[in-house]
Amino acid sequence: MNFGFTDEQLALAATVRDVLRAHCPPAALRRERRPAWKELAELGFFGLLLPEGADGLGLGLADVVLALEETGRACLPGPVVETAVAAPFLVAGAPKLASGAVCVAVLPPGQAYAPDADLADLLVVTRADGVRVVARESARLVARPGTDPCRPQFEVGFEESEPLAVPVEPALRRATVATAAQLVGVARELLAVTVAYARARTQFGAPIGSFQAVKHQLADVAVAVEFAAPLVYRAALTVDRAVDRAVDRAVDGAADRAVDGAVDGAVARVERDVSAAKAAAGEAAVLAARVALQVHGAIGYTEELDLRFWLARAWSLSAAYGTTATHRRRLRAALLGGDLRRYP
Amino acid sequence: MDLDFSPAERDFRAEVRDWLSTNAPGPLPSMDTPEGFEAHRAWEALLADARLSVVSWPEEYGGRGASLIEWLIFEEEYWAAGAPARVTQNGIFLLAPSLMRFGTPGQRERWLPRMARGADVWAQAWSEPEAGSDLAALTARAEPAPGGWLLYGHKTWSSRAAHATHGFGLFRTSGTRHKGLTYFLFPLTEVGVRPIAQLDGLPGFAELHFDGVFVPDSLVLGEAGEGWRIAMATTSSERGLTLRSPGRFLATADRLVRLARDADPALADRAARCWAEAEAYRLHTFGTARRIMAGEELGSAASLGKVFWSELDLRMHTLAMELLGERAAEAGWLDGFLFSLAGPIYAGTNEIQRNIIAERVLGLPR
Repeated sequence: MNFGFTDEQLALAATVRDVLRAHCPPAALRRERRPAWKELAELGFFGLLLPEGADGLGLGLADVVLALEETGRACLPGPVVETAVAAPFLVAGAPKLASGAVCVAVLPPGQAYAPDADLADLLVVTRADGVRVVARESARLVARPGTDPCRPQFEVGFEESEPLAVPVEPALRRATVATAAQLVGVARELLAVTVAYARARTQFGAPIGSFQAVKHQLADVAVAVEFAAPLVYRAALTVDRAVDRAVDRAVDGAADRAVDGAVDGAVARVERDVSAAKAAAGEAAVLAARVALQVHGAIGYTEELDLRFWLARAWSLSAAYGTTATHRRRLRAALLGGDLRRYP
Repeated sequence: MDLDFSPAERDFRAEVRDWLSTNAPGPLPSMDTPEGFEAHRAWEALLADARLSVVSWPEEYGGRGASLIEWLIFEEEYWAAGAPARVTQNGIFLLAPSLMRFGTPGQRERWLPRMARGADVWAQAWSEPEAGSDLAALTARAEPAPGGWLLYGHKTWSSRAAHATHGFGLFRTSGTRHKGLTYFLFPLTEVGVRPIAQLDGLPGFAELHFDGVFVPDSLVLGEAGEGWRIAMATTSSERGLTLRSPGRFLATADRLVRLARDADPALADRAARCWAEAEAYRLHTFGTARRIMAGEELGSAASLGKVFWSELDLRMHTLAMELLGERAAEAGWLDGFLFSLAGPIYAGTNEIQRNIIAERVLGLPR
């Protein structure tokens, strides 16, 4: 039992943070679609989860969850989760994936539009008749209005496609947890920026952060983030665990069911932990956005303040890979189904 | 990072579960009645005989020297088994950490083993009529006397004091505000005790009147004038790990989800959310335990936990009241609901906790 990050995991996150501070400053969000991607690729960021046979490092999600949090904190644009987290479990054999030279977008089940599809070399598209892999040149993209200026979304049409060769669920689970980690990062940054503003902004002769009405709102955000994060870290461990490999294979339709009768229950518990994480992280980020805007007042309600990017990211990611309501419903179904066993 | 219990921890859990399944009594009468108080004391003695009453204490005082993780495991099993509330709670969780840290060897040997088996039951005497959240405004005082001190003044909202044998509290020996306070232990035999009925009609509180009660020097904890520092070390454990371990909330959450199984989806959704939040508190606590075992101090961050668990407990019991309606008391949820209402008040109100979070965790100006 050691529910804290290792020096290696912390060092990876610190390195990513430094790169993003240098190469993805707020100003970059206004002028570039993929700031800092080249530098992240040089770090090997896009190969972290790929198996060694595909030039990756073969790390688990728990190893990189803090680094993913940093991408949320920096409001890093582009299909980061799709390319770095989902792609290794969808198209691991695609050439140059580890180098970051191939960009992947995903249209998950239950959603109509694929974010960042304009940047993608490969699209993984869920339709009623199955999951298809579409090359950029075969895709017809129609832009649709979205919530997040840095995460444009597209309807995807295509003529030619290949069926996805592996089950999609393992990738979706990981992408959901990775998105939850980004939401924690978004919430932490919103809180930090707003605390700084409340210390500096003076009214009635005092910093507004000295007023209890302001303090208590920010304290509530701190509590929400503090208790969302452990659910996200646990979900990362849950999907990484050995049993998850059995879960992945079970989804694949292999014969593990006969070997391990508990696999069905294990699938439900993995989904439960993932949904608990995503719902809590989404709510924490949306609360952080609400309070950030309220405490900033009118200046926060402008296009020119950078805060808007983080507000939009909280809203758009809280709806990605299942809305908060969807995950709340899944959590409820899993628990009321009767399995209250916990991990650990 | 991992969430795996060691083989020794799993064995310990099995032993605790096994022992409780054989020995835990059914519901006892309220500990705020004379017969309930004695029944709860007898249970503490039985727990102590199995060396399960204070597992994290050193063996010489009746514990097992268990790790924090093992203590958390014990708590999970204890509450899951539906075992009785702890009548010794204020002693073993609030006073004992201060005694271990600031007490003399003689004080530890004299008081801890008796506390561990409920031979002495301790009541906390901090609040006064004009000093609640603002504890440093207290006015009860101690005057020097040959061989000790004479206590004067008035304490209130002292939980368990109606039946307890001893009390611990802060009295002014000099100075103002935080300076010049001294931490005293005292038998309740010489103190005027007026029981106060709580919302459930039973005397869970008492008022304490001190009219020159003599206390020997051997009952001063730490140095005279050091009371605030010692008391704050206690509140840090009160707000943090020791008073409200996750086990209690996990057990409540399990019961709540079972209760909500056939409920309207809107209500069932709230139950599921509470269950996940109890999990969040548990996981967060494993992280905190790791930091404490690595030598870090909990400090002001304990306030984050106090706000979270107290409001979670209130949400869970409020939902149970809604689910059960007129059957709430009969179904055994009313007492818990009333107790959960106290959570955001005791151990420093949640308004004060939010100030602490804002000022000392986030760094906002006072």
